[in-house]
Amino acid sequence: MEEVVASPREWIDRNESAKTMLARVLTARPLLLLPPLHRVPLRVGNVVELVGTSPSAKTHILIQAAVSCVLPKEWNGVHYGGLDRLVMFIDLDCRFDILRLSKMLKHRINGESNGSLKKIDQEHMDFDLWNNDTKKSPTYDEELYSLCMRRFLFIRCYDSFQFLATLKTLNYRIRKEQELHGISVHILMIDSIGAFHWIDRASTFMPLGATNRKTPSLQTVSETVVQEIRKLLLLHPMLVIATKATIFGDRYSMETKRNLGKLDTSNSRSMSSTSLQLPYREYMPSVWQTFVTHRVLVGASDDPFIRTNDGDCSLYFSEWLLPPQSFVDKFIVKEAGVFMVP
Amino acid sequence: MAPLKYLEQEYPILDSNFQNFCATHGIFSGPFPPSNFSRIYSPILTPSFTFLGVRFAPILLLFWRCSLFDCSELKDTRRKHMKFRALHKKTEDQEDLLLHDLHVLVAFAEQQSTSERLKQGITQVLSIIDGQHQPWLNGMELLEDAQLNKHVLSTGCEGIDLLLEGGLRMGQLTELVGASSSGKTQVCLLATSNVAKKHMGGVVYLDTGNSFSPQRVIDFIRQNSDPAIDQAKHRILQKVMNRILCHSVFDIFTMFDVLHQLEVNLRSQMQKGDCQVRLLIVDSISSLVTPILGGGGSQGHALMASAGFLLKKLAHEHNLVVLVTNHTVGGEGGISKPALGESWKSIPHVRLRLSHDQGSSIYNVSVFKHPSMVSGKAARFTIYD
Repeated sequence: MEEVVASPREWIDRNESAKTMLARVLTARPLLLLPPLHRVPLRVGNVVELVGTSPSAKTHILIQAAVSCVLPKEWNGVHYGGLDRLVMFIDLDCRFDILRLSKMLKHRINGESNGSLKKIDQEHMDFDLWNNDTKKSPTYDEELYSLCMRRFLFIRCYDSFQFLATLKTLNYRIRKEQELHGISVHILMIDSIGAFHWIDRASTFMPLGATNRKTPSLQTVSETVVQEIRKLLLLHPMLVIATKATIFGDRYSMETKRNLGKLDTSNSRSMSSTSLQLPYREYMPSVWQTFVTHRVLVGASDDPFIRTNDGDCSLYFSEWLLPPQSFVDKFIVKEAGVFMVP
Repeated sequence: MAPLKYLEQEYPILDSNFQNFCATHGIFSGPFPPSNFSRIYSPILTPSFTFLGVRFAPILLLFWRCSLFDCSELKDTRRKHMKFRALHKKTEDQEDLLLHDLHVLVAFAEQQSTSERLKQGITQVLSIIDGQHQPWLNGMELLEDAQLNKHVLSTGCEGIDLLLEGGLRMGQLTELVGASSSGKTQVCLLATSNVAKKHMGGVVYLDTGNSFSPQRVIDFIRQNSDPAIDQAKHRILQKVMNRILCHSVFDIFTMFDVLHQLEVNLRSQMQKGDCQVRLLIVDSISSLVTPILGGGGSQGHALMASAGFLLKKLAHEHNLVVLVTNHTVGGEGGISKPALGESWKSIPHVRLRLSHDQGSSIYNVSVFKHPSMVSGKAARFTIYD
C-alpha cells in the first residue's frame, strides 16, 4: 500500500475524472441488474435469500444471475454486459441441471436477451457510451461459450457435513481458482439452504454421550455455516445468494396460496396488507435469519399460464420482503431465461 | 478414549501434543463410557431393531449419515460392534473438527513455541476435511459428464416420451403423482420392460404393495417385439426377464437396507462391468413414508429427506434413472393432493401428474415440475391391455 500512495497529501491531491471514477466504482462493486433482483442494488457482502415454494423458479433465477456473472462485458467487440467474474454454486438440493445453464448461456451469447432486461441494460449501457464503439451483432462463439462454462464452479453436497467441509476449505479453493482464471469470485450461490433441515433437526435429539462435546445439531450446524461464510466474506468479498424452499405444508401452504392469490390479482397491497406477517413459516435458526441482508419472496401465481408467441408459460411473481417494497413483479420463465411481464 | 485418538491412528502428525492443543481450544470428543455406549446402542444392535420404530430413528439416522457404515453389518457380532464404535468415534472426531472454528486454532498456533508441528497438524486436518466433500467441477466438466453419462431412457410410453423430449434422464429422480388406478404402476411396469429390453439395462424394482406383475411385464415385452420363432423368442424373453430384480419392501427401514446393499453392489459392479443397472423404481415411495410422518416429531421427515438424498445420490453417482410413485389423498375441500406434500416437493427433479378418465383407455400426463421445462405441459397416452 505504501508504495502506491506515498503520502496522505498525494492521496488527497489525486484527481480523478467522473469517468474514471465511475469505471472504478462499477468494476469494484458491479451491480446485479437482473429481474427480479433488479429492484434493490446488491453489493458484495450482501446475503440475499430467495424464498418460495417448490417450484417457483428459484434455481432459474440463480442460473440467470450466474450466466450474467460469468459473461464478459465485451468480447470481440460485442457487448454482452456481463460481470466477467467467477461463480461458485453449492448444490445442497442435488437437483442442478447443467444442460439448463448451458442452454441459457447459449441464448445469451446468441443475443436473445429479453425485453425487460434490454430496458434495464439501456440504463446500464449509458455508462458504456463513452466507449463509443460500433455495436456488432452477437454470434455464437464456441470459445466464449467454453470460457464462460469454465467460470462456473460447482459442487454437490449430500449432507450437512459435506457442506461444512466445503465451506471450511472454500478459502483455499477460491484462492486456487482465482489464480487459475485471473479473476475473482463475485457470487457464492447456495441452493437451497434448508435442504438438510429435517435431518439436522432430528439429530438434535441424539443421545448425548458426553456433555462437553459440541454435538451436531441444527443450531450448531447453522452457527458454523454462518461463521464460515462471514469469515470467507472478509477474505473474499462476494455476493451470497441462497435459495430457501418453504417446507411447512398443510394449512400453512393453503393459507399462503390464498394470500398470494389475493396479492397477485389485486396487484396492490391494499387488500392483503392487513395480514402483513410472513406468508410462510420461518424455520431457519435465528443465527441465519439475522445473517440475511435481503430477502425476496417468489412464487407461482394461481393463474399459472399465460400465452406468449412461443407457447404457454408459467407465471411467477416476486416481492421484496427485506427491504420491504410495495410492488409485486411478475415474470415468466422461457427457454432463454427469466422475463419480466407487465 | 482420548479425543482425536482414532484419527491419530491414521495420521501420526495428529499426535498427543496436537490433541492437547485442540483440547485446550475446546475441540474435544468427550470420553464415551462403554457402559453408557452399550446402553444407548444395544437396542439397535439386536436383529429386531427395525421394529423399534420412530423412537430410535435418530440413532439409525446417524448410521445412514455415516457413509462408511453399512447397516446390515450391524446385526451380527461384538467384533462388528467394536468396528462400528471405532468408525463412530472417527466420524465423531471429524464432526468435531467440522463444527469448530479452525481459524482460531491457526491464530493460536502462531503463538506457540512448537508452532511448526502444530501448523502441519492443522494442514493435515484441513486436507482430511478437503477429502470429505465431493469434488469441485467447472461447467465444462459437468457438461461433459452430463453428455457422456446422463442419457435419456425412453419409457416405451409414447405420450410420456414425447412430453419429456425422449424420456427419463439418468441422474434424475422422477416422480409420478396420481390417484389410484391413474396408471402409475402401469407406467412403471412399461418402463421396466422397455429398459430391460430396448436399453438392455438392469432394473431394480422395489415393490411396496405386491403390485409388481411379471405377467404384465412379459405382455409388454411381447407386445412390441417382432414375430419370430418361438424358441428364440423364449430365450430372449428369459434374458430380458433376468435383468429385472424385484424386492418386496414393506417399511422404510427395509428400503434403506436394500438401497445400501444396492449401493455396495453398484460400486463393485462398476469395476466388473457386467449388466449395468439403469433403472431404479420405488412403487410407491409414499406408502413407505406416510406411516412414519406425523405425530409432531421431525424424525419421520428426517427419514423422508434422507431417503430422497440417498435416491438422488444413487442416481447421480451411478447414472441411474430413479422413478418413484406418490399416491394422492383427499385434501381440503375434496380436492385430492399428493400424499407426500410440501417437504417432499423440493426433492424430486421431475414431477409428473397422471390421471385417468373412468371408462376410457386414455391417460393424461402433465408436467408439475421440470428443471428445464415449462410446467403445465400435458399429453395423452393409452396403455395396451
